[in-house]
Amino acid sequence: MSELLSSLLQDARIWQGHKQGKTTQPAESTGYQVLDNQLGGLGWPRGALSECLLDTCGIGELHLVLPLMQRVSQEGKTIFWLNPPHTPYAPALAREGVSLDHLVMINTRDQDDFLWTLENCLRSPVTGLVLAWPGRLAGRDIRRLQLASEAGGNVCVLFRSRREVDQNSPAALRLELVPGEHQDLQVNIIKRRGSWPGQRCSLALGHRADRAIKESSQVVQGPWAGASR
Amino acid sequence: MLWLYLHFPHLLLDHIRRHQTSTGALAIVDGAGHFVVQACPTARDLGIETGMRLKTALGLAPDLNIMRADPKQEAWLLEDQARWLYHYAAHITLAPPDGIWAEVSSLQKLYGGLPAIWQTVEQALTERQLTAWVAIGHTPSAAQLLAHTGKGECTADKGHILNAVGKLPLLTAGFDKKSCTRLQRLGLSTLGEVFALPAAELARRLSPELLAIVQKIQGTRADPKAPWQPPHTFRQRADFLQEVEHSQGLLFSLQRILAELEEDLCWRQQDTDTLRLILQHRHEEPTRLRVRTTGPEHRAEVFLKLIQLKLDQQPLRSPVTGLILAVKRFTGREAPIGQDLLGETQDLNEAWHTLISRLQARLGEQALKQLAPREDHRPECAWSASDVRKPGKSPKGVSGQLPHRPLWLLKGPRPLLQTPVAWHSGPERISGGWWDGQRVHRDYYIAQLPGGELAWVFRDVQDGWFIHGWFG
Repeated sequence: MSELLSSLLQDARIWQGHKQGKTTQPAESTGYQVLDNQLGGLGWPRGALSECLLDTCGIGELHLVLPLMQRVSQEGKTIFWLNPPHTPYAPALAREGVSLDHLVMINTRDQDDFLWTLENCLRSPVTGLVLAWPGRLAGRDIRRLQLASEAGGNVCVLFRSRREVDQNSPAALRLELVPGEHQDLQVNIIKRRGSWPGQRCSLALGHRADRAIKESSQVVQGPWAGASR
Repeated sequence: MLWLYLHFPHLLLDHIRRHQTSTGALAIVDGAGHFVVQACPTARDLGIETGMRLKTALGLAPDLNIMRADPKQEAWLLEDQARWLYHYAAHITLAPPDGIWAEVSSLQKLYGGLPAIWQTVEQALTERQLTAWVAIGHTPSAAQLLAHTGKGECTADKGHILNAVGKLPLLTAGFDKKSCTRLQRLGLSTLGEVFALPAAELARRLSPELLAIVQKIQGTRADPKAPWQPPHTFRQRADFLQEVEHSQGLLFSLQRILAELEEDLCWRQQDTDTLRLILQHRHEEPTRLRVRTTGPEHRAEVFLKLIQLKLDQQPLRSPVTGLILAVKRFTGREAPIGQDLLGETQDLNEAWHTLISRLQARLGEQALKQLAPREDHRPECAWSASDVRKPGKSPKGVSGQLPHRPLWLLKGPRPLLQTPVAWHSGPERISGGWWDGQRVHRDYYIAQLPGGELAWVFRDVQDGWFIHGWFG
């Protein structure tokens, strides 16, 4: 009995407020040292769901998973994009070094198909990473996905709306993504296994805008001054 | 030479009963629907006999299941039997409508004697729940005659066989009616008595054709049989007495057919990736389904799962009276590679095919896409989506030459409604498409919107501003 308890405590599967044990759950580095540090030196948990909560696209949410995508596709594992809100742009992905051969985009008609597909992808040994845009999800659906994820041992990132921040979720990791001032991405950790929430960090993603910020004064300042004409 | 003849007295009946779980009385009636042609044992116990009027039969057994005989279907069925028999014998000839010859003297060494061949065939018949009367003869005709009486024996002795044939009554020999009557008037009643007549006299007094038949039975005249070739396709059908209303009801028959397909593929050492399933309805056009696996496959359970998914997706339009499973595409089998001796490493290649097939079966083939860049200056034309294929091992080293582009492309340009707070890059002029009528003339900028998102915006010739992508 005590053996069982100690193993539970050791894996940080029981949350202890006073003692923050290092979890031994398998994980994949995010590729951003700052974020890895905040995530207990581990990164994206494997065999568990991760949630990213954000308001709009285009704040650097794909760059957050890009290092992992590069690594997974080079390992020859398949990356599934499930119901992406826009078209993942192939030339940009190729430029970033993501092997497009290992990328499969799936669009489903309804929620039933979506859950079924996601579950199947998660359970398969060929899957390396699943990126999914689920829309609204019921609590028991997330629970089901969490179980499928545990069976498969893959990384699964769900992109959901920031409105769901207050909703309770069985996902192992929940991140709130907020755009910063200078094209950086503020990451607030809402939930993490075996730790207190509330850590935050900022990832500099200025390279998304092609040129360094200091050059921006050289750019024509837009036609907005005379837009009233 | 020795010939084995299989006579199937009620092939259609056997075929239908194989695909039925319930065993009620069953009778096959002729095309016009007046007479009983074949009756199953249950029906025979109720007093129904072949040749009986259908009305009488229905009087004896009011809940008799009736099936109409169809010559085309019988031909199909006979071909089916030839296909499995071909696994055991090389030289096969069909004897429509209900018999098959197999040349067995060349097989004796392989099987270790005639009794072993006999046993193999009997066993195969039992496995398939078929009723067949088997006989061996030194000529094709002799074997056929003996099989029709149902008294075939496992013997290679020519004298014994001729003796057995000689005891058969004249009517079974297949002479024309006129000759039969004449022979009977001569006081002959068995074949043996006809054999005893001098050949020349027989030809002169009766007819040369009759002599030919007699000599073919005796073996003094050549009776060549052209060997049958197995078709390069697989086709099996099941017919239902009661219409099947739910797809669950089809699974029992499908399981059997798929098991046969697996055996067939195993025997051919081939795989397939396309199954065609045709569901027949009473009043409507048949439903045609195409079940595709992503990779070569031969296992029945995989096919069954895919078909189940397909049927779940597409509910039956109307009750099904019969189904046909056909396979036309065959591919050679590849030796499995990458599996270690103990089978501990999972075969990822196979797992990939299984997953993709499952997804495609449920979602449809268009739901799964793979992306690739395309050489075009226009952003909307610079990518393409194609069907999923197994990743090859040829990474293309183009990443260096590609221009800076956003990770998200909108499905179509969207009007820019907010004033950007910062401009980061641009303009990049993209002009092209004059060659195919989809002209594009735009200046692209990277701009930050008030919400914090980084957008790829452009201004077109009319000074309109649009968002075309997000730097996700």
